[in-house]
Amino acid sequence: MAEEERDLNGLPREKLTQVLDSFKDPDVFNAVTGPWKSRIAWQGGMRARAYMRNHQVDMDEPGDLTATDVAASAHEQLLSAIGSCMTVGFVVNATKQGVRIHDLEVAVEGYFDNIRKWAGVEDEGNPGYGRISAKCFVRADADEATLREIWRLAVEGSPVTQSVANPTSVETDFEMVG
Amino acid sequence: MADTPLFPVTVVGSWPRPPELIQALRRRQADEISEDEFNSVADQAVLESLKYQDEAGTDIISDGEQRRDNFYSYVVGKIAGMQLMKVSELLDYARDRARLEEQLRALDVPAFAIKSPIVIDKISSREGLSLDELAFLRQNTDKPIKIPIPGPYMLTRSSWFEGLSDKIYPTPEDLARDVVEILREETVKLRDLGADFIQYDEPILTQVVLGEESSETFMCASLPQRRDPTTELEFALRLMNEVAEGIEGIKLGVHVCRGNWSRKEEVLLTGNYGPLLPYLVQMNIDQLVLECATPRAGEMEVFKEYANEKEIGLGVVNPRIDELETPAQIVERVDEMLQYFDPDKIYLNPDCGFGTFAERNINTSEGAFHKMRVIAEAAQELRKRYD
Repeated sequence: MAEEERDLNGLPREKLTQVLDSFKDPDVFNAVTGPWKSRIAWQGGMRARAYMRNHQVDMDEPGDLTATDVAASAHEQLLSAIGSCMTVGFVVNATKQGVRIHDLEVAVEGYFDNIRKWAGVEDEGNPGYGRISAKCFVRADADEATLREIWRLAVEGSPVTQSVANPTSVETDFEMVG
Repeated sequence: MADTPLFPVTVVGSWPRPPELIQALRRRQADEISEDEFNSVADQAVLESLKYQDEAGTDIISDGEQRRDNFYSYVVGKIAGMQLMKVSELLDYARDRARLEEQLRALDVPAFAIKSPIVIDKISSREGLSLDELAFLRQNTDKPIKIPIPGPYMLTRSSWFEGLSDKIYPTPEDLARDVVEILREETVKLRDLGADFIQYDEPILTQVVLGEESSETFMCASLPQRRDPTTELEFALRLMNEVAEGIEGIKLGVHVCRGNWSRKEEVLLTGNYGPLLPYLVQMNIDQLVLECATPRAGEMEVFKEYANEKEIGLGVVNPRIDELETPAQIVERVDEMLQYFDPDKIYLNPDCGFGTFAERNINTSEGAFHKMRVIAEAAQELRKRYD
């Protein structure tokens, strides 16, 4: 796409609106509903590499867990995924409304409920994040009420955020090979 | 300096900026308006700040730093070889991003909101750092003029960033040589053009001795590679003395505070001047302009050992709160300091500026006016006793 067509926030506003409207079409809806896929291959130690379409992301764990710390851990990337998804949602909604964004940051943090279960030293409780918070900082050409509404739409419409915030079934399977 | 009464009343530097000035500053930074267009808005803001200061009874005035983005980043437009960079841009170069993240969390600020002038090429002064500010002030007031400029230590430490600056200046010490030269030249020119008082801002000295790594931070400037406090303080002392060496005929001061970006007292630094004073009193300057109005400044007894070694610009009001101090409270604070300083060595000022960062006014113009007026009322009381 030609650069000059990306007229607002680095996005083509008119085209974007058309694309989003097309989600009303059942065929489009089915296509974007899923399946979304990731394949994760162990790289040795606590390192893993995730392959998604034609992209890849490395993951590791901190050195004080005896890992090599060459990449962020999976749970940190979950926080990043939440914040990134909110960021995308904010930009999409702002662009739809014709709001120019100058700067945008989302700061996310989380606390585990009971990480001892991950460590295998306790068998009870939830090893996952029990609390996650996200704060949006934005400088944009709109009043505060408009920007707060865009933030609300971004959070409530965020697939990643809502996957975490609402019960999502995770079905697992297992196969021993060779 | 022109005659001033006992207990001269002065500002630390900045005055709250009006919304139209902040908007003009943003537009200037986005290159949407010319320097002349920006200056016509800023001229009005300076005149307004002068009027407030004058009517409040301020004896030594400043231009309220109205033309500046903040108290030190403005040098980007004045010094060739520097670029104003957001911390969000520096994250790509930072060696210890985790520490920067901790600092941002502690301050509850976005990385895009903090900007630092970063050295990316050999530096040289274009047309002076504040000569334009002085020229405009001289045209519009007969009062003694204070010009705050960044101190050599802060300018060096905050603008040298590994990965960006080291290609030109391998170490901060290499950069400091050129910084000292620029500030010496600026000091002499400001004196020759009629400035009365130059205040070198060195607020990050408190972070050197009081800031806990990854917990409390000052963050008026990035300190990407902090060394041990003694090394840093000796470095700061040496640089200040190299700047001031042999310069006479103008009052020189150093300003130190504990942060002025937030009204949340709990995110600002706490601790007395004890660890700093041995170095501050060795600086070849006349006055220490110090935050002393809040309990965070610690015990004043630490001055006992250094009584009368320097003048003190005594911070007597907190610029970050709406509550107005009373003249009686200020007189009481001065009385305490009179144990350690003669009356002719005490100047009265707020703890810090009223709008250190353009987009973070920490008080209103009216609030600042009332604060300055109570200082002036306290000065009147004191003069009755000591004149």
